[in-house]
Amino acid sequence: MKLIRLGFMLGALMAIPAHAAETGTALKADAIKAEPFNDARTVATLAAGDKVEIVKKNGGWLQVKSAKGKGWVRMLSVRKGEARKGTGYAAGLLGMASGRAGTGKVVATTGIRGLNEEELKSAQFNATELQLAESYATGKPEAQKFAAQGKLVARKFDYLSAPE
Amino acid sequence: MNTIIKFLLAAGLALGCGTASSLDLGEELKKAVKEGVQQQIEATTGGSSRSALPGLGSTSQEDEIAIGRQIAGNLLGASALVKDARLQKYVNNVGRWVASQSERPDLPWHFGVIESNDVNAFAAPGGYIFLTRGLYRLLRNEAELAGVLGHEIGHVIRQHHLKILQQSRLVDLGGKLLAKQVGGSDKVQQLIGSGAEVVARSLDKNAEFEADRIAVVLATRSGYDAFALPEVLQQIGHFAKDDGSVALLFKTHPHPDDRLEKLGGSMSDRFDGIKGQTLATRFYRIKP
Repeated sequence: MKLIRLGFMLGALMAIPAHAAETGTALKADAIKAEPFNDARTVATLAAGDKVEIVKKNGGWLQVKSAKGKGWVRMLSVRKGEARKGTGYAAGLLGMASGRAGTGKVVATTGIRGLNEEELKSAQFNATELQLAESYATGKPEAQKFAAQGKLVARKFDYLSAPE
Repeated sequence: MNTIIKFLLAAGLALGCGTASSLDLGEELKKAVKEGVQQQIEATTGGSSRSALPGLGSTSQEDEIAIGRQIAGNLLGASALVKDARLQKYVNNVGRWVASQSERPDLPWHFGVIESNDVNAFAAPGGYIFLTRGLYRLLRNEAELAGVLGHEIGHVIRQHHLKILQQSRLVDLGGKLLAKQVGGSDKVQQLIGSGAEVVARSLDKNAEFEADRIAVVLATRSGYDAFALPEVLQQIGHFAKDDGSVALLFKTHPHPDDRLEKLGGSMSDRFDGIKGQTLATRFYRIKP
């Protein structure tokens, strides 16, 4: 039912992605915490695929309600909207909403032309456009000024290592 | 082949070719990478000869930029710039600020938005980076733009596409042509294959995950919200797999769900308590 509702809503919005729909699905098992901190009390544990309702966001945390409990879970453990689907019913509706009539079996190459591999392969060098692109270059001092205007302050932060 | 070994080999190639550039690797990595170069040479030449080595030592930063420039010109031949000077300048401002926090701040960085309703972004060696109008339209604030550009900057600073070219072409040609032909676009074109096809090639999955990790770190170093790129990935994940506008992106990248999961594993609690700006009000919006 939720799937159908989401589909219709998306249809109505003409395929605007569903960030208005504040539901989500756990991407992996993770703890629901009482507060948005790592060392806060664990209220419950979500299993991969569990549905949650997203209440609000705080930094890297989402406040959620789920059948297992209410609390805070890491944003990156939750997929907003429905979990990945193949070419199910909702995907078909999405296809229709974006102008590609379909039943979930639509092939990506029908109708709409995008920047596909063939176009990229046969592309011819365009010197005029390249020079135009290069004319917009920003120098380092200019970038610094731009950052200052936005009150952006550079800070140190080490690169991350790959998980395990 | 084990992906870690593959990565080391690729890194080995890059170092072999980058002696004239400003690569700054730790001693240990250098050692590992040297061994990788030797293995790669042996794999390429059947272990019979070391004569490929001088060729491998020749991708200077100048050459890298010449290659990237040629690819960028071709890409623009397929899709022109969006004719909005304020937009283009804005994207260069954000991009250059983010790139300035990387270990290659002095490359001649260029950024642009191109005419395509596809959702995608492209990086060419030497610092040429483009995103499509379709992707730009999805963005809701400056931090999200910074995150997307940060991912592409990650490809450039780790020379992911250059390595592909080196593996597929330069090694075969001994690299000699390239070193002397910075100005000769025909020669450079020979080396990059047809048009801008290299940007449509799939990189190793791990290169994509690495670029995501670099993106959130560069965004953080630049003062932006680290979780902006994950927000964009969430949005891209909403596209149906059979939606043509994401066909190439989905073909050449791991699914956004997998990228989120990998990023989650790396970010863990490292960003707890770190606040960043989103700058939604300054974000330059374009007409749909």
